[in-house]
Amino acid sequence: MLKRFLSERPLRLPHLKPYVPRASDPAIFWFNSERDDVVAEVVNRICAAHETDRARLEVALNDAAFHEIRRLERQRDEEARDRLGYWRSMIRRIGKMDDIEQRRVLHTIVTDMTRDVAGNFDPRVYRFSRRAVPRLIGAVMEPRSLTKDLIGTEQNSIERILKVQGDLDHLRHLQNEGSLVYVPTHSSNLDSIVLSQALEMSGLPPVVYGAGKNLFTNPIISFFMHNLGAYRIDRRIHVGLYKNILKLYSQVMIERGYHSLFFPGGTRSRSGMIERRLKLGLLGSAVEAFTTNRVRRVDRPVWFVPTTINYALVLEAETLIKDWLMEEGQARYIIEDDEFSRIDRWFAFFRKMVGMRGACIIRFGEPIDPFGNRIDGRGQSMTPTGRTIDPGGYVERRGKPVIDPVRDAAYTRELGDVLANRYEQDTVLMSTQVVAHVLFRDLVASSPGMDLFARLRLRGEIALDRETLCRKLGEARDRLCALEARGRVRTSDVVKEDTPSELLDRALSFWSGYHDSSAVTLEADRIVISDPSLLLYYQNRLVPFAEDIADPDQLRAACEIQNLGVHR
Amino acid sequence: MSLRIGVVGAGGFGRAIAQASARNGHEVLVWSRKDRELPGSIRTSTDIQDIQSRELIFLAVPARHAAEAAGQLGTVVDGRHLMVHISRGLVGAELKTITQVVREKTVCRRLGALAGPLLADALAEGRPSGAILGTRFPELTRLVREAIGGSGLRIYETTDVVGVELASATVGFLTVMLAYAQEVGVDPSTLAVLATRGIVEVSRIGQTLGAKESTFMGLAGLGDLIAAVAGDQRPESRLGRALAKGVDLTNAIGEAGAYVEGIEVASHLIEHARRLGLETPISSTFVALSEGRISREDAIEALMERDVGKE
Repeated sequence: MLKRFLSERPLRLPHLKPYVPRASDPAIFWFNSERDDVVAEVVNRICAAHETDRARLEVALNDAAFHEIRRLERQRDEEARDRLGYWRSMIRRIGKMDDIEQRRVLHTIVTDMTRDVAGNFDPRVYRFSRRAVPRLIGAVMEPRSLTKDLIGTEQNSIERILKVQGDLDHLRHLQNEGSLVYVPTHSSNLDSIVLSQALEMSGLPPVVYGAGKNLFTNPIISFFMHNLGAYRIDRRIHVGLYKNILKLYSQVMIERGYHSLFFPGGTRSRSGMIERRLKLGLLGSAVEAFTTNRVRRVDRPVWFVPTTINYALVLEAETLIKDWLMEEGQARYIIEDDEFSRIDRWFAFFRKMVGMRGACIIRFGEPIDPFGNRIDGRGQSMTPTGRTIDPGGYVERRGKPVIDPVRDAAYTRELGDVLANRYEQDTVLMSTQVVAHVLFRDLVASSPGMDLFARLRLRGEIALDRETLCRKLGEARDRLCALEARGRVRTSDVVKEDTPSELLDRALSFWSGYHDSSAVTLEADRIVISDPSLLLYYQNRLVPFAEDIADPDQLRAACEIQNLGVHR
Repeated sequence: MSLRIGVVGAGGFGRAIAQASARNGHEVLVWSRKDRELPGSIRTSTDIQDIQSRELIFLAVPARHAAEAAGQLGTVVDGRHLMVHISRGLVGAELKTITQVVREKTVCRRLGALAGPLLADALAEGRPSGAILGTRFPELTRLVREAIGGSGLRIYETTDVVGVELASATVGFLTVMLAYAQEVGVDPSTLAVLATRGIVEVSRIGQTLGAKESTFMGLAGLGDLIAAVAGDQRPESRLGRALAKGVDLTNAIGEAGAYVEGIEVASHLIEHARRLGLETPISSTFVALSEGRISREDAIEALMERDVGKE
């Protein structure tokens, strides 16, 4: 009951007096005063696209009723009891309705759906969260630091966990000139929270982002997400109109200059590999926002910030890799029973992370325009040789900007390719990933001819002595550093600076006592692989680089590992 | 409406495209490194800046010059331009396609690759023919059809750009091999087996690079190969025949009369396939044969003794 109440009606603080934004406030501080206007614009555009064509309108209404009835019949919950009757009665009447009634019904459905999607932004919640939450989380996770954290004289625990990289001055300048769209890699449900914190630490304004409705079931998370600009995405709804509303809501927000965040991977990387196959829907909304502004002669550029979120320890690693291996990644799109919903795992996770230097690195990559071009310090698009160009040319036909959804969809696919390449270059490889790769490569080399699943059953059967492992680790690290010098990838400071032995100990320390099963166990001076699946998850980050960092005698094993990513 | 068309490269294909476009009533400018005279209303230039005023650009240079030409174009083109290339090759051991190279060197994004059994002579003279255009941008297909299409030329379209480029590049190699086989007098059935299994082999590699199998079975692959076997006198066919007569590879390339990249492309593809654990019996055997590493008898034996599987 409470779960549904919170998911349907997220808590908002009462407004004793309306907040009047100052000119210096970021755009999102103005959101609440524009919220109704944004909803109306989305509703009007969706309805206008259907109203001139009765056949299209009827298909949209039938599609909505059909999918909602199917969903609610499966759900068999309170929502089903409330709404099933409405949809069943509507689907019977669609054919008998005249044009006016069909349009009225469409308007009602679209308005309800858009209102459900639209977020909220409460500056009070934002101010509270930016000051108090990191310190409180730090204090709860590490009681010894309570005094320091609350007084705030030193780095708080969150700041010790999280390192931010990238040209932040450039981003701070651009955020005043156009709409920034952050497009990060996606490993964990913590990503949007961690990224919001990284923006805060970098002096960058908060962003608008979509969050799965399942995340709103946790009352604390729901309160913060809802009041910090998140809009809600109910992944159970398969209605065509709803998908259009989500895309258009995102587009209208970007058109109006709200900085946004979405994960082009669509869902968390189940395998742990760097995403290559990106979902283009929301990405396309940003490209179309650029075109629409140009056609309306609004000179508000849209820039994408490819971002990588790199964890040494992933909260939900075990569930994710299990899901990938079961090939249920698609079917179990919404996992509600993973580590994210278990508060004890949060505690264990943060305790582990706080103890380790730079356990999470957010890297903001070089911003690009919707066509993959770099941006100079003044916000101008640049050619590879540094000549500035007008990006408006991309949407012109014979000198005039025109709306062309097919062309923009093609640009979006091109942009997806650019982002996938940028993710590889900007991924920061962490200690656990490098150690896992060297161990997993040895497991592959020791089991020639076996398939992946047979190898994953080799629990406790493959062991390396510490000295040999450290030697291989040192060689792999040196090759990774050489790749880094050529701009192919990045490594964390600890990967660069630790001795191989320290690197190994660091990874072992991360794994020990957090996951249900340990990736490796220590037996005297030998390291025994005890959970190859977990190793696979962490090592998968290195799949594109396996061949480049392999010893000559392990090239075959490295090729096999690299082949894991051929169709990723 | 008359289009402003630019052609980069004044080789056989560049001139043919210029002639076909001019015949269709468009305003054509051909850029080349050397001063050229071209018939009719076609303008020529050695200044790359002149290309800037064009809306549709055809890049008609061999693959080995593509990076340099793209670099020069990079200094003048912007987001307004649409570009199509007609190179039948790949660049370097990384098997980069020409559109990848153009994307790296320029800011042009509305790109396409024109391929298939189209010949420069047929295009220049307006004889009936067909081609395939790989592009993600339908507006580019419309413009290319307007520029050089018409009653004499049917231009089909696909969004599998990388498939078109890989199929086109690998047909070059298969043409060398089939010309070799014809010259040594193999039976038509053997020729058919080599052609069919050869296409399957290269399409399998192509799929690992993002291409679709169906593209290899269409105009860019099988269609182009049929034209080559039917005897359209390509340099690749001349190279294959010279090799069959016992001429060594370096001299045979000289006899072909034009730079042929087929063997080099095949060597890179074989290396790529080896890394992925894919078998390439036909390509590997023929590359070894053409480089003189095995005899003709050993090649036949190596191919015939392999296990036969499902198609």
